[in-house]
This record gives sequence, C-alpha cells and structure tokens, in this order.
Amino acid sequence: MSAKNEKKLASVEVIQQNFEELNYICNLQIATAVFLAYHLDKPILIEGPPGVGKTELAKTAAEMLNLECIRLQCYEGLDESKAIYEWKYGKQLLYTQVLKETLGEILDGAKGLTESVTKLHEFGDIFFSDEFLEPRPLLKALRKEEGCVLLIDEVDKSDHEFESLLLEMLSDFQVSIPEIGTIKANEKRKPLVFLTSNNTREISDALKRRCLHLYIPFPDAALERRIVQARVPEISEKLRNQMVAFIQELRDMDLKKVPAISETIDWARTLILLHTESLDADLVRQTLNVILKFQEDIETAEAELQNVTNKAIKEA
Amino acid sequence: MDRTLVDFVKVLRTAELKVSPAETLDAMQCMDLVGYEDRLYLKNSLALVLAKNPEEKDTFEICFEKFFTAEKHKAIRNTSAEDQSNDDLFDDEADFQPDGKGEQSGSGGGQGGGQGTCPQEGGVLDTSLEATSELGILLTQGSRTEQTISMMEAGREVEVNQIVVFTQKGLFTRKIMDAMGLKGLQEEISELQKKGPAEEKALANQLKKARDELRERVRDYVEKQFFLHADETGKQLREELLKKVKLSNLEKRNFKDVQQVVYKMAKKLIAIHSKRRKTYKRGQLDIRKTLRNNMQYDGMFFDLRWKSKKVDRPKVMCVCDVSGSVSNYSRFLLMFLYSLSDILPKVRSFAFSSDLGEVTKLFEQSELEDAISRTMRDYGNGSTDYGRMLQDFKSHCMDDVNNKTTIIILGDARNNYGEPQDHILREMYDKAKRVIWLNPEPRSSWTVGDAEMKKYAPACHQTEVCHSLAHLERVVANLLKTVS
Repeated sequence: MSAKNEKKLASVEVIQQNFEELNYICNLQIATAVFLAYHLDKPILIEGPPGVGKTELAKTAAEMLNLECIRLQCYEGLDESKAIYEWKYGKQLLYTQVLKETLGEILDGAKGLTESVTKLHEFGDIFFSDEFLEPRPLLKALRKEEGCVLLIDEVDKSDHEFESLLLEMLSDFQVSIPEIGTIKANEKRKPLVFLTSNNTREISDALKRRCLHLYIPFPDAALERRIVQARVPEISEKLRNQMVAFIQELRDMDLKKVPAISETIDWARTLILLHTESLDADLVRQTLNVILKFQEDIETAEAELQNVTNKAIKEA
Repeated sequence: MDRTLVDFVKVLRTAELKVSPAETLDAMQCMDLVGYEDRLYLKNSLALVLAKNPEEKDTFEICFEKFFTAEKHKAIRNTSAEDQSNDDLFDDEADFQPDGKGEQSGSGGGQGGGQGTCPQEGGVLDTSLEATSELGILLTQGSRTEQTISMMEAGREVEVNQIVVFTQKGLFTRKIMDAMGLKGLQEEISELQKKGPAEEKALANQLKKARDELRERVRDYVEKQFFLHADETGKQLREELLKKVKLSNLEKRNFKDVQQVVYKMAKKLIAIHSKRRKTYKRGQLDIRKTLRNNMQYDGMFFDLRWKSKKVDRPKVMCVCDVSGSVSNYSRFLLMFLYSLSDILPKVRSFAFSSDLGEVTKLFEQSELEDAISRTMRDYGNGSTDYGRMLQDFKSHCMDDVNNKTTIIILGDARNNYGEPQDHILREMYDKAKRVIWLNPEPRSSWTVGDAEMKKYAPACHQTEVCHSLAHLERVVANLLKTVS
C-alpha cells in the first residue's frame, strides 16, 4: 500500500478518526484490529450478531484506503471454481474450432503420431494459459498489484471443505493452480482480508488460528447515539436520544431477533420521513415493523410498549 | 518480556483457552508492534490474537486483569515507598512507566536486570551500622521495586507456578524466603542480638520487622500465584479423577461436577463425529453437475457426479436398569446420550426395574436433570426382573426394531433367580443391528450368584464392563463409530 495509506493506518487513533470521517463510528477494539491486521499481515475474522456492521467495516476500510473491495459471498456448495478460478470453456472450445485448420497446416509434413505430438508440444499449453483463465474473487485479490480489500462474507455458510481451501490463501496469501503453478500476492501489498461470520456454526480451529478474531457486540447507548448521528445527521438530538434509549430497552427483552444497528438507522430514517419530533407510544406501534422482524416479537413488544416508551423518554 | 508473555499464555491455557504455539508467536509479534505502554491497547490487541470466541474473550478478560493487576499493584506501592529513590532507579522505571501514573501494563518489566542497580550508598536507617547479609542489605537499602524483583526471581527459581493445592502455600512461601537468603538474615539477626549494644539491637529489630513485612508480601504473592495457576489446575485434576472413579461411589455433591465433565466429553465427541457424518454415500447421477464438470473435457463424461444421499441417522434404543444397585450408571449413560442429541437425534430410552417404561418423551420435554430424577423416582423402586423387562420390550417395541437399530442395555443382569427369558434377547439380536450390554460389575462376577450374564452374553454383539466415565466415553465413542 502506498505511503499515503501507510499514514492512514499509522496508529489506532488515526484509524478511528479516518473511519469517523467516513461515518463509520468504531470502538477501540475494532480500530486495533484493523491496525494489527495491516501491520501483521493477518486476516481478521469478524463475528457478532447480524446487523452490527461487520460487512460495513470491510467496505469502509476499502473506502478509506482507496482500494477496490473484492467480495466473495459464501454459501453452501461454494467451491474453488467459483471462489478461485475457472477455465473459460467456451473460449477454449471456440478457439479449437477456429484453429482446426491452422492445426492442419502446422501438423502438415509430420510423419506419424509421435512426431505430430512433439510438434504440438512446441506450442506449450496454450489452452491452459492466462488468456483462458477466468479469475474468481480470491485470485483477483491476489493479482491486484496495488493491493485490495478482500471481503469473504459469511464464511459460516460455506462447507467445511471450503474452509480448508481458504487456509492456504489466508496464511501465505497464495493459491495453487495445478496447470499454472502457485500464484502469490505482491509481497509488499498484500490484500487486507476480512472474514465475517454469523456464528451459525463453529469455525474450525485451523482457520481461527490464522486470523485475528474480532467480536463486535451490540454498541452501548453512547456509541449508538454517535452512530445514528453520523449516519442520519438530520435527526434532532432529543429524538435521537429517545430512540436509542428505546432500542437499548428492547435489546434487554426476550426477543427472537433483537434489533441491530442497521435497524436503528432504518428506524431513524423512518421517523425523519414521518416528521417526528418526539417518540410516543402510538407512533412506535405503527413503526414497530421497521425494527422487529418477527410477528411474535412485535406482539411481545406491543404488550410492554407504553412502559418502554415512557421509560425511554424519561431516560433521554 | 517474552517470558512474561509465555507465563501469561500458560495461565490462559490452565483457564481452558486453547492457545497454540503459533498464536503465542503471533502475540509476541503483536507485542513488539504495540509495545506495553498502554494497558488497554495491549489488552485489546492480545484479545484479538489469543481469544477466538466470545466465551474465550470473557475468560481472557478475567485472566488478563488478574495476571497484570498483580504487577500494577506493586508498581503503585513502590512509587509511594520511593521518596528517597535514586536516579538510577528512575531510569529503570522510565523504561516501562513513561506516563508516570503507574497505569502501566508492565509485568514488572525489566525483571532481568533489576538487582544490578542496587545502590550501595544512601542509607535508609539512621544507625551508623550497616546490615551485612545479602537479604539484609536488600531490605534496608533496596527500594520496593528491587525487593519485588528479587522476590519474583526467587519465585521463578522455586517454580511457584507449579503450585497445585492450597496446602502448598506455606511451603512455597518458605521456599521463596529461603531462595532470597533468609538464612543469612536470620544468622545476622541472632548475632546482632547477642552482641548487646543498643544500636545493634535496634538494627536487629529493624531487620526483624523488615523480615516479617517481607514474609507478608511473599505470602501475598504466593496467594496470587495460587489463584492464577492452581485454581484451574486443581479443577483439571479433579476432573481427571472423576473420569476414573467408580460411578456408584460418587456422592450427590459431586453430581454437578460430573455433569460438567459429561458435557465436556460429549462436546468433544460431537466435534469429532459431526464432521464424519458428512461423508455421503454415492447416490443417483446428478446430470446438471456432471454436465458442468465435464465441460472442460469438451462434453465427454470423464468425471461423473452423484447426487449425494445422506446416510440414515442411527436409531438408538437405550434400556436402563434404574434399580438401586445400578441407578447411578444409568443416570450418567442417559446424561451422556442426551448431551449428544446433536449427532444422535433418535435416542429412545426405556427405564425399568421390573416393568419397562418409555421415558423418551420425558427427556424431550423437561430439563435433563429433572427428567433423570423423575425417571429414577417413577421406575427406580422394585426388585429387578430382567425377564419381565424383556417381555415388556417384546410386546411394546419389538416392531420398531430394525436393522438400523442399536440397542444398549445397561444393567448388572442380576435377576433375583427369576426366569431370564434370554430367547427374547436372542430375537432382538437377530433383528437389530447391534445389541450392546453394559455391565458395571467386573467380568469375574458376571456369573456369580444370581447374575445371568452367562445366558445373556451370547445374545449380544458386544458386552462391556462399564463403571466409570472414562468407560462410558469409550463405549459411546465406539457406538458413534459403528452406528454412523
């Protein structure tokens, strides 16, 4: 990464500041993780409940460093042909068809099978060369001369086999392609790798060992207020405090899925659209479906709505 | 510093964090980068490298606080005691305490080179006499830091981190004092007292006081070390013991510990076997996958792909004798099997002493412990009758037994001289995939008295002695291997 980026990652405080300029408010742990990841050349494995800004962190890091963000979305059945590379079969077929006649000319005059094959060998493995290689995200990331941010999203959704596939990439920043050989990342500008996981299953120890492990929990009230302020600056301070207090209360309730930061932000936008000045129980009831995504959760919350709203208003 | 880090990793390991050597190396790199001026910063960084899931993060937090506060505490104390300190020492301090607030991470930084800086001049005592023994000099003239350093060095020498049980506290305190040169000091004190003149007596008293104070501090230090190292080690020892002890000898107060051990063992087994189950048997031809995969061969089908077919999950039927003599074994077998519900979802369980009853529902609906105690209460009294049990089994659930069923029977086969009905067991043997009999008694007594093992054993695929958790674990692990 260029000297400019070097400066941007000079210390934890600088990183925190730079993130803040891009409207990503982060705590010390997160900034420390990015700092260490860059200086130790290690991937970061980010875990935490959905909607706390795991993916956003990678995107913001890319934006801050002015690098391309290459994203690999994981899902069950993802394999190397979609993650690392694939041969362009169509092109290979087309070329063999087109070159059929040329082949005839080349082989003209060759006697016997051995001689023809020897002649063909002179041309090397043209059909398995770079021109016919379709790079997928991992390979693309390694080949970026100027470095990049690689986001491997929701690793926990992929199979065990894929996890093992990632190991080479994560520890040595290289992948092996049988036909071509080993491709390594630029020594000085290795990609900055982020992996995210929603904890639907335990990630293997081998993978964890190679990563820094960052756990992003739900933010506390003060941090959440700052986040809302950064993301939805047009919201009034009073309303902001009220809604954050309300959300914090909700998180203590026994819900199937508690509202995350992304929901708080959505809700803030909704309230702005509705020209709200201050929270009240009716308004909350009408907009509850923005923050709660299960009918049973909505029912649970509605029972306590008056109480919680009053409490939130008082607290703010 | 490296040594401190290694010590810290050791502490983490005793607290059951899995820290690999590679991660220790990472942590060292990380320390080089981060430095140890800022405690919070260091904690955050190390947490990223060493603790790899939320629970571990919590444990890490506790360990970090415990491990590094001990050091901080001393640092604060020594600043107050250091009003007459010398420049030499300040330099030494500055290395790891640049902000001067005592808020340093330093695990007593500079442990290596402390003693050399001991100032020879600058007396603390008003007396014209000087202490002559090594420890005496240190006590009268050395600063708090130097004393602490010397103490920790002595602690290392006698390997205080090997402390295991609390009764060793006194031993280690004495060992550390000895290593610091207590003998020399004692001799000096008694010599001074013998001489008589008031001045010397005063010095002797002073030394005595200093010695007692030091002993207090050493005791304190050992105490802390004990909490760091031994608390967990002791727990591990106890767990190892629990695994080997005869289950019938366990007392009620141990049940909780045993339960934890069972959960831990089950977790281990789950980790091993959930991956194994992934190997599918090959099933139907998957045309789409095959086409896609063979495009690279110009559409020739070299590499066939199959629709994977999951292997049927095993069915386990567990018949437990819950009469007084073997109820404890049944308790833990059931606990084990239901802790494995992730990989053994189809467990049906039956309990009997004479009449057989199915308790599967009970276990599904209520908490494990509740279910177990209710089973014991409902079926646990009455004299054992294996013949009756087998007849009941035949009439209730023989139809559900097929060639995928594994039947586990746990009992001592002591039939009170009743009709053994071993032909029913034979029938089960023919129908089921496996019949396993677990007997808590040693093999030698299987045929003694009213035990019918001699008749039952030929109708089982496998008979095992099973009287400790270690046995149970082995049996269940084997079970998982054969059923999946």
